[in-house]
Amino acid sequence: MTPIISGLFVGVLFGFALQRGRFCMNSAFRDIILGRDFTLFKALSVAILVEMIGFSILAFTGTVTLAPKPLMWGANIVGGLIFGFGMVLAGGCASGITYRLGEGMMGALMAVLGFGLSAMMGATGVLNPILKSLQNTKIMTADDKPLTLANMVGVDLKIAMLVLAILIIVIWAVLALRNKSAEKSYGEKAKSFGEAVFKKGWKWLPTGIVVGLIGMLSFPLSAAAGRNYPLGITGGWVNIFQSLIKWQTLVDDKLKISALNWEGAEVLGIVLGALVAALIAREFAIRAPEPKILLQTFVGGLLMGFGAIVSGGCNIGHILSGVPQLSIGSIVGGLSIIAGGWTMAYFMFIRPMNS
Amino acid sequence: MADIIPTKTINECGKICPYPDVDTMTTLKKMKKGEFLEVLIDYPLSVERIPRSAEKQGHKVLSVKQVNGPTHSILIEVLGNK
Repeated sequence: MTPIISGLFVGVLFGFALQRGRFCMNSAFRDIILGRDFTLFKALSVAILVEMIGFSILAFTGTVTLAPKPLMWGANIVGGLIFGFGMVLAGGCASGITYRLGEGMMGALMAVLGFGLSAMMGATGVLNPILKSLQNTKIMTADDKPLTLANMVGVDLKIAMLVLAILIIVIWAVLALRNKSAEKSYGEKAKSFGEAVFKKGWKWLPTGIVVGLIGMLSFPLSAAAGRNYPLGITGGWVNIFQSLIKWQTLVDDKLKISALNWEGAEVLGIVLGALVAALIAREFAIRAPEPKILLQTFVGGLLMGFGAIVSGGCNIGHILSGVPQLSIGSIVGGLSIIAGGWTMAYFMFIRPMNS
Repeated sequence: MADIIPTKTINECGKICPYPDVDTMTTLKKMKKGEFLEVLIDYPLSVERIPRSAEKQGHKVLSVKQVNGPTHSILIEVLGNK
């Protein structure tokens, strides 16, 4: 499989699952403090647990080499906070705005434009020096490996991932059995399995499992294309924007789209997969909020793009792909994204609502 | 149930996350017990989340219907805030 086909394949599956599961981390974190709704947070937790076990098995069988991101605390914290502020303004995380573009939401399109532009400027352009100085806060282990929860306590990473995941699942299961509460669903019930998959929104448990399995599938496929890491978003948009800029050269080059890499193809696939999912479920429509909000999502996108590049990952690179590998950098980056998101959500929604 | 005429209808179509939810909750807070609120909404995540939040606040969700494309109509009976 060429990198483009392989990336598109994973992306389409991911985009389909994101749209059906309404999987967005901006909502997952914000809903905890706004309305005490844990539905999406539970879906995310399941996805991370499935990946911890999945990545561990892939590492045990020698299919992949684990690749936790290094800790650069200054960059992880500052970038994560900026990303967190941005995602609340943008109305979605990196994966959220990407799949909602496939639903036809123009607010998401503006956010994606801002996100790609500033990420590209951070990665290669004028914002690059700021990034370099923040990333000087890198801390590695004595033998120059990225810090993980495992090597901090001297355990093998894949064993630690497996044991920790099983431990969390057991505790969660015990707690869940104790406070059993039936989940209510509203509206018409699905009449068949096909309708449940293609027409109705997925519940948190299947959403988490499917997203986790796609994350697991992405790792060896991406590695085969020379990018040894599971799902990502930021690098993909940077790649797409750079390819667009080089469009003329590509045309002159008789459209050999060699500029598009695995992650770029994966991100295009997400938009495509979400579009297909939304069309089948009759949830697609081109729609736009008022101009003021369009500007707000664009600014949010700008902050997110810069934050993700500084932090060394967005919510997908850090939280969905890095946290399961127990990377300290990703844990610090992820917690900073949550802290930034909560701060912004407090001032934008919670305080005005209570006054 | 088809006979219920909403006391108030809010159109949340096109709005981004989480404005539809915030608007619905603040509108519900201002309404009186026994009144009916209809929310028109085309954002899938909120179509599923608004009924959950409304019931958590002590209101009753009477129906969630897909009316046209992604647009749904959610009918809520105001029962006071828990």
